[in-house]
Amino acid sequence: MRYGMVIDLKRCFGCYGCQVSCKAEHATPPGVFFARVVKRETGTYPNVRKVYLPMLCMHCEIPPCEAVCPTGATVKRPDGIVDIDRELCVGCRYCMQACPYEARYFNDRARWYFGAQGPTEYEALGYAQHPVGVVMKCNFCAHRLEHGQLPSCVVTCPTKARTFGDLDDPQSEVSRLIKERCGEPLHPELGTGPSVYFLPA
Amino acid sequence: MGTPAGNGQAAQEDRWIPSACTICYGGCSILAHRVNGTLVKIEGNPASPVGNGRICAKGLSGIMILYDPNRVNYPLRRTNPRKGIGIDPGWKRITWEEALEEIQVRMEKLRAEDPRQLMIQVTTTLAPSSLLFFTFGWAFGTPNMWVAGGGIHCGNGAHAVGGIMHASWSLVPDFKHCTYALYFGASKGHGAGHAATPNMEQAADARARGMRMVVVDPICNFAASKANEWVPIRVGTDAAMALAMVNCLLNELGIWDADYLKTKTNGPYLVRPDGTHARDPESGKPLVWDAATGAARAYDDPAAKDPALLGTYEVAGEACRPAFELLKEHVKRYAPERAERITGVQAATIRRLAREFGEAARVGSTIVLDGVRLPYRPAAAIYFRGAQGHKNSSHICFAIDLLNQVVGAADVVGGALGFNPVCHGHPETGRPRYVPRAERDGLMTPGTWMLPHLPYPPAEPRHPDSMGFIELFPLSHVSPLMASADQEQWWQRFELPYRPKMLLNYGANSLMSVGNKDTVAETLGRFDFVVSFDLFLNEFSDFADIILPDASYLEVLDPRPNFPFIFNHPAGPGTWGWPIRQPVVPLTHERRSAREVLLGLAYRMGLGPEMNMALNVFYGLDGPQMLDPKKAYTFEEVADRELQHKFGPTHDLAWFKEHGVITWPKTMEEVYWRPFVDVRVPIYWEFMLGLGEKIRRIAASRGMTFDPAYYSPLPEWLPCPSHEVEDAAYDLYAFYYRDVLHTNGFTMENPWLDEASRMDPYSYRIALNTETARRRGIRDGDTVWVESATGRRVSGRVKLTEGIHPEGVGIAACAGHWSRHQPVARGKGVFFNELLEVDYEHTNPVNLNLDLCAKVRVVP
Repeated sequence: MRYGMVIDLKRCFGCYGCQVSCKAEHATPPGVFFARVVKRETGTYPNVRKVYLPMLCMHCEIPPCEAVCPTGATVKRPDGIVDIDRELCVGCRYCMQACPYEARYFNDRARWYFGAQGPTEYEALGYAQHPVGVVMKCNFCAHRLEHGQLPSCVVTCPTKARTFGDLDDPQSEVSRLIKERCGEPLHPELGTGPSVYFLPA
Repeated sequence: MGTPAGNGQAAQEDRWIPSACTICYGGCSILAHRVNGTLVKIEGNPASPVGNGRICAKGLSGIMILYDPNRVNYPLRRTNPRKGIGIDPGWKRITWEEALEEIQVRMEKLRAEDPRQLMIQVTTTLAPSSLLFFTFGWAFGTPNMWVAGGGIHCGNGAHAVGGIMHASWSLVPDFKHCTYALYFGASKGHGAGHAATPNMEQAADARARGMRMVVVDPICNFAASKANEWVPIRVGTDAAMALAMVNCLLNELGIWDADYLKTKTNGPYLVRPDGTHARDPESGKPLVWDAATGAARAYDDPAAKDPALLGTYEVAGEACRPAFELLKEHVKRYAPERAERITGVQAATIRRLAREFGEAARVGSTIVLDGVRLPYRPAAAIYFRGAQGHKNSSHICFAIDLLNQVVGAADVVGGALGFNPVCHGHPETGRPRYVPRAERDGLMTPGTWMLPHLPYPPAEPRHPDSMGFIELFPLSHVSPLMASADQEQWWQRFELPYRPKMLLNYGANSLMSVGNKDTVAETLGRFDFVVSFDLFLNEFSDFADIILPDASYLEVLDPRPNFPFIFNHPAGPGTWGWPIRQPVVPLTHERRSAREVLLGLAYRMGLGPEMNMALNVFYGLDGPQMLDPKKAYTFEEVADRELQHKFGPTHDLAWFKEHGVITWPKTMEEVYWRPFVDVRVPIYWEFMLGLGEKIRRIAASRGMTFDPAYYSPLPEWLPCPSHEVEDAAYDLYAFYYRDVLHTNGFTMENPWLDEASRMDPYSYRIALNTETARRRGIRDGDTVWVESATGRRVSGRVKLTEGIHPEGVGIAACAGHWSRHQPVARGKGVFFNELLEVDYEHTNPVNLNLDLCAKVRVVP
């Protein structure tokens, strides 16, 4: 069992649905994005292309973040999810240095979206799950998977660009897509074995 | 959120409530997750075809609107009598009773004098439910109602042409079967509001399937960036390119769909030398030339077996020619070489695209779907705000749609589809049911429409007695004269017998949504009294006298968030869905639903009979569900009757509150209706000649210029004022575009969307072509002024991009707020509308669409 995600860049048009869906699901504080969208432009006028690259934790097979974690807070679960134990994390942030995908965020102090006006009812409730002084990141919505639900970014994507499943199962939709559409992870040369694959635009 | 019970205690309450989004007018179906009374997550509702469970960034961010601490919580009254931009009204909290009492007294006095002194203003963001405010206007007796900024920006042209040619509000390619989609200034499926998320999914499916998509647009953003080809075009010149393409099809390639043109258009109708149709002297019906018998016959004469599309025929001593032949001749004036000079698009490109489009249409082919053989024309040309938002609005949309019409790709498999112009209703009740029908001269009129007056046949123009002069321009929907610099001048010249004294506003921020703020501010200053229902104080509020704290979309009921289906229900094959909107959290503070307040106000003023009858008309209530004029109803009761009327007594409001949505399958006859409905559409707008002449007579007598070029039966490219600026210092065309993250100016206060916009390279910046900027010494990130040739200016930071026409200045959405009451929105992005003039000179004289481009210079 190895959970993985395939993101079809042909379908994605950079709407930010994943980014905001993730924010809503995890009640992440300002500036924290377990999912985000990076936009770039290539080519010269008029032969120009826009690149929309949805980013999240790549849930690497050999996670460099896990290797540097001094307390064992970052763990590679048997199902392939790389997760952080909030109780064990001491906020040293070595993992942030180690992650080549900039998928990790440090919750340095309590902050909320309307600043001095204080937390909203929603934030007051949601931010309780994010202790200050620890590192946080995407965990493929492990709490949803427990209830048989797909990750929030997968169910919201208006273009259905995201597919989630078991990379170890050759019959799974994710395995089929990677094979048929020549899916590639981001920066495979780093040798971390990401579990997120991208299909060409 | 995932673990809302953060304190480890079990949730007392954990519910997913079906409702509808209202952050844009797409109104996608949602499920709202409420835990112990707090809204913790919004997701799409998989049970509804209006989104199929998907929801965009805006829809997901509704939580931050609901809980924004900057919302208005209590009725407010101004203490400072001085009104003006940035002048503090000195808000004082008052009670609802005080507010309603004052409004009632003023309204009753106003109504006794002349009810037309009341103006009602709503916003597209809340459409179509905000149209309920129009029922109050009908009951009150005022014709002065508008969607501030809507219509005059995003659709007077697009929707009128959509209505005349497709019986619908908007167009999409048949994403399911189209193989070649040509977008002119449109983003359907890439952020556009109508059927927003369903179209995103369908457009992605089409991309994956291999539909070729070509986007003609000055800027390469959401749609163009996903297209196979981006064709940069000079701002406001789309009509010239489309007409050149029609020319190539008809005169170079010889591609047209003769069967379609003969039976489904007025192509064979004979035209006399004066441009009017040759008519049967007795019935008055237009004549066609029957090639089989060599005689002129009425268009619907069954004996006319083979109506001619080409040739010259003598009828009653005059040389008459079929309308199609005139079109074919007319477009010869748009050689691709001439179009290249106007548009900047190379003649060879125009020829290639015309050939690709014509070949892709596969004229003559059929396909069998569900056992039914149907015409198959898998090519579509669509337009929207970008193309249509110019002084030549009407001709632009007409010219682009002619591409569909000449190859027969209109409302057939694979072609350009209007949004759901045919609905046979729910199987149990046959409701809602509507089908386009043949009107004057056999030409089509829609079976349902957003507003009472249909686009065809146009009403008789008459001397105006409304503020916007809609009566004089019957092909318009909304008029800029409601807030124009020259309104008083026109009211005087046309002797308008009253002046607007009171304004009732529902959620619109017209100070920013119409055009430059100073012009709008001057018009707002003319009102004695302004009442505004709103979620937030904003720039407009500086002109209000009383603010009423509205409920957000997550706190209200609406029995029809997606009706009429021609507005924002997804087109193409699939499922019909009628969702409701319902409160997902109870109201707090002293907020109230504007609908309830409005209904209560009507009853309080003794307008019950008028209001109930207006509601009967608006909701189409009859039989047992008809509202009794003598009774008073709650809005819940009205909603219950509306739902039972459409879906029977078992599907009452209680049923809908539990289930959220009712669905039933679409049939092929509904989706690809063109072969099944005996109507024709005009490829030659003969009616414009008579209409134009009638308008000219009324307008000219009052010194209003009338240019007959806009009323020609065949479309032309006519320049915008920006194309005629002679001062060479103003060398760029500024325009705005829809950002996928924003709806009008409303979403700028949402911190999740603001955060994404700040991360986005373009949202808050002024897009400028890299080479254009280099020549001016402007670098990425520089702060510049964009100055219009008419002396208006805005500033912002530059984003250099290769993805914009070298003459273009692209600005996103309606940003640049300055109100201190919206601290998230304040100072973000660029207020494009400040560059727009709002007057008759900058208005399309057919449909009253405002010209939305400005000739500018960019200076440090």
